[in-house]
Amino acid sequence: MGPTDEELVEAFRRGDLAAFDVLVRRWDRKVRGAIHRILGSEDDARELCQETFLKAYRALGSFKGEARFSSWLYQIALNLCRDRMRRRKGRMVSLDELEEDGKAIPTGRPSALDLVEARDLARAVATAIAALPEEQREVIVLKEYQELTFVEIADILGVPLSTVKTRLYRGLGQLRVQLERQGIHRAAPVPAALS
Amino acid sequence: MECTVLRDEMIEVLYGEASPRAAQAVEEHAAVCASCREELRALRYLREDLGAWRLRESVAPRGLGSAPRPWRWPAAAALFLAAGATAGFALSEARLTRLLEARDARQRQEIAALRAEVRSIPLSLQDDSAVLAQVDARIRQSEARHAVFLKERLTDLADQTDAQRRYDLARVSAGLSYLDGRTGQTVARTAELMGYVLQASQKR
Repeated sequence: MGPTDEELVEAFRRGDLAAFDVLVRRWDRKVRGAIHRILGSEDDARELCQETFLKAYRALGSFKGEARFSSWLYQIALNLCRDRMRRRKGRMVSLDELEEDGKAIPTGRPSALDLVEARDLARAVATAIAALPEEQREVIVLKEYQELTFVEIADILGVPLSTVKTRLYRGLGQLRVQLERQGIHRAAPVPAALS
Repeated sequence: MECTVLRDEMIEVLYGEASPRAAQAVEEHAAVCASCREELRALRYLREDLGAWRLRESVAPRGLGSAPRPWRWPAAAALFLAAGATAGFALSEARLTRLLEARDARQRQEIAALRAEVRSIPLSLQDDSAVLAQVDARIRQSEARHAVFLKERLTDLADQTDAQRRYDLARVSAGLSYLDGRTGQTVARTAELMGYVLQASQKR
């Protein structure tokens, strides 16, 4: 068990520059994955992830430690995502990008048809998530793919727990609708109120 | 969902964050409420589907203390300096400089270590054939590593090609079956039309 994030932050403040290295290595993949799924672009994810850590580096001196380091890092990343979305004016990622990125890898030794079906499902999921309203997409990504707790998500977004759950529930409902529309029928029929 | 009595608790159960009490409440409710039971089942299926979207694994960053390839720190540092200057941040330029200097120092150490390794080759013997033999051995080692790498890549490629071939064959087979069906229908239709023509000619 290595040092905690907070211990590394403290070490960095005392002048141990390598501590920041450890933080980058520890969180880069997670932050990059979150940005990738929110913006739907691997290139954007790579770019904004670097920017996230640069901002973090710059502001680490003034980091109060009231929130967890990871929550603070996600906050920076989400703000960058929102800025990028605003500049895009809501334009979502192209299907070609999703095609490239949304590959599912079935376990075991899949048949060719398994591979095709899995790729189609991954593509459908990526497309459905891209179509969600920003607030719901953020919560879905943080919960479903980053596996954060409700409390952590509420902390990152600065909203009450109940809001997180409501956004999550609505987001899941929207995803069911979207997947139904794309011909994914495994889920139970969507209630009329959601469609 | 028609029933919203335990909606928050159901979400907690779905993600394994419910307290034992909430979990029990949901379980008891689902036992008597078909709507919630179905909702929970559908959401679990949906979560399985969401798991299908996996991202490609890319190279993890090596951070500041090692090779800067994924992070391109010099460019990032320049960006950082520019952004800090324009935004009027109390930019810890000295700290960044120290950071970059530390990295340079580490790289210099690595280079020095490599040079030492090269020097360790027994040139002192002034024996060209020994040096050549060592170089030759290094080249063979490198080639062996590349051969293993190439073999792995070829195996991957063969697997992918095989999967694609099986898929293409399945599609061709499905297409032929379809054409067979169409041909059969056409023959039957032609025979039927011929029958009509014969009947008509016989009436005349």
